Amino acid sequence: MDNQPLTISSFPQAIMHIDVDAFFASCEQAIHPELKGRPVITGRERGIVAAASYEAKARGVQRGMRLFEVRKICPDCIILPSDYETYSLFSVRMFEILRRFSPDVEEYSIDEAFVDLTGLRRSFHGSYESIAENMRRTIEAELGITVSAGVSLSKVLAKIGSKHNKPNGLTVIPGREIHVYLEKLPVEKVWGIGANTTAFLKKHGIVTALQFAKREEDWVARYLSKPYREIWHELNGRSVYPVVTETKNSYQSISKAKTFTPASTDEAFVFAQLSKNLENACIKARRYRLAATRLVIFLRKQDFTSEGVEIRLNKPSSYPLELFDLLRRGFERVFGPGELYRQTGVVLAGLVPENGIQDSLFDDTARIEKMSKIYESLDGISQKYGKHTIQHGASLPAGLQAQHEGERGDVPVRKASLLKGENQRQRLGMPMMHIKV
Amino acid sequence: MPRRTPKEELQSRVREIERFYHKNGRMPSYAEIGDLLGFRSKDSSFKLVGKLEKLKIIIRDKKGRLIPKSLGMPVKVLGTVEAGFPSPAEEELTDTISLDDLLIKNREATFLLKVSGDSMKDAGIMPGDMVIVDRGMTPKSGHIVIAQVDGEWTMKYLEKRGDAFYLVAANVKYKPILPKSELKIAGVVTAVVRKYM
Repeated sequence: MDNQPLTISSFPQAIMHIDVDAFFASCEQAIHPELKGRPVITGRERGIVAAASYEAKARGVQRGMRLFEVRKICPDCIILPSDYETYSLFSVRMFEILRRFSPDVEEYSIDEAFVDLTGLRRSFHGSYESIAENMRRTIEAELGITVSAGVSLSKVLAKIGSKHNKPNGLTVIPGREIHVYLEKLPVEKVWGIGANTTAFLKKHGIVTALQFAKREEDWVARYLSKPYREIWHELNGRSVYPVVTETKNSYQSISKAKTFTPASTDEAFVFAQLSKNLENACIKARRYRLAATRLVIFLRKQDFTSEGVEIRLNKPSSYPLELFDLLRRGFERVFGPGELYRQTGVVLAGLVPENGIQDSLFDDTARIEKMSKIYESLDGISQKYGKHTIQHGASLPAGLQAQHEGERGDVPVRKASLLKGENQRQRLGMPMMHIKV
Repeated sequence: MPRRTPKEELQSRVREIERFYHKNGRMPSYAEIGDLLGFRSKDSSFKLVGKLEKLKIIIRDKKGRLIPKSLGMPVKVLGTVEAGFPSPAEEELTDTISLDDLLIKNREATFLLKVSGDSMKDAGIMPGDMVIVDRGMTPKSGHIVIAQVDGEWTMKYLEKRGDAFYLVAANVKYKPILPKSELKIAGVVTAVVRKYM
């Protein structure tokens, strides 16, 4: 019964999932060609591995590992500071390349995309496989990074395909072959199925993705909630999750967290770090015309344990000036004198559209008006002269210590070697290759 | 402002109606003409329509609805004719491109590279210059390329002798390089940028 196809049509629709191989490390290898084929990791400024190249992974390096451990198991590893500006440029370019092939591109994360290929065979005179291969080739030729891709009937299946042959692989799963790929796949490897569901399914004798896909619909309907019923449909080749093409214009929450090294016990400095995160989160919220109804604050200690508080706001806001008092009170609740802290973070949650805010009877409308004027001009100045040209006094002590001190060269090359006309805040929106010629 | 002659007044009114017609794809009603031109009563609209009908600018159908005759031509007129020297701004400048467009062909495949050596100085590429590199372009003989020869990175002219490619500097100090084992091209140099201040 297991060799019975789940569906007989090959491609009623074709969804592709693309995942860049070891994204941050690949970008570094692309702009430093001499690093190709060598173990490279990023995250030097944070003291832990943010991303590892396949060469480094082969030597046992994993994400989140501390750097001294990395030096022990892989002494010739090249450890670079993160250069998020360059990675973002690569990300945008990858999505642009994909849009040359299909307008239906979903930017799922910085290094992942879904593309709806349905109906493109005619205009490209070829199979879905050849179109997907062409996309992969173009990305590799123009950006110098490799991607892994899967093409199948649904997002869940496409994701199984892209994971099937990593790195630099392409797996096409037509309808009549779905069962072949699901047969040996543990059900917990399916996108969206977590530990709890896995344990529950095991109790019902379901271990592989195929066993799950073959369950009868009324069983699925009786025992599982909607998200899992949708996954069940997707596994059977019936696409439920559409490829969402709009670029993100709404968020449920915005979080900003930043690590600093060395860790600090200095109350003013740690609070300034927190305040800077609040400013950044608010800038982003205002850009999307959103305001928060809840504010979450957390501090992470040197031993990686964190503590936090959640504060409910009386009135939605995206103005740091209105939030500083609460931020201070929350901070005092969690900050322990003498403790070493390495990271602070702020989450703006329960976001609502800015224009829908109802002023209460007791609000001082003149003050609200003034506040919005202040931030309007502040955002205008930032746009012209760069972020944080003007900042709040509370954030100033953050400059007492460099964000990351200690090792030299913790600043990415792009920021360390500015071109004429560039400054610390604004640079050309084009990645630089670092080759000595 | 000098007072407008009745003729100018009429022309400006016709232009208002034209604008409405372009925007809405239909003719305005009498009430709307009144709003448009600031009339106090519909009667004024009625009189204006009569005038325009005589001039064969508009006609009325059996039900009295307005139909444009010599008005609301869908062709966009290139600017307006004015006395004196015409402003070149709009029409002349629609077909210009930015410096970015001039220097960059395929945005996604374009990278910057800061030059440190002098091997291409006779081609006008000096140490400290920025070159614009296209990674997606197929390199051809005569192109300036960023290449890896036998493990070393360099920027040179790509030349072809028979079937074999080799690299030539634009500086007598350097000899041509014939790759012994391998030649990898990372990109084609499409432009050089030098900023003086």
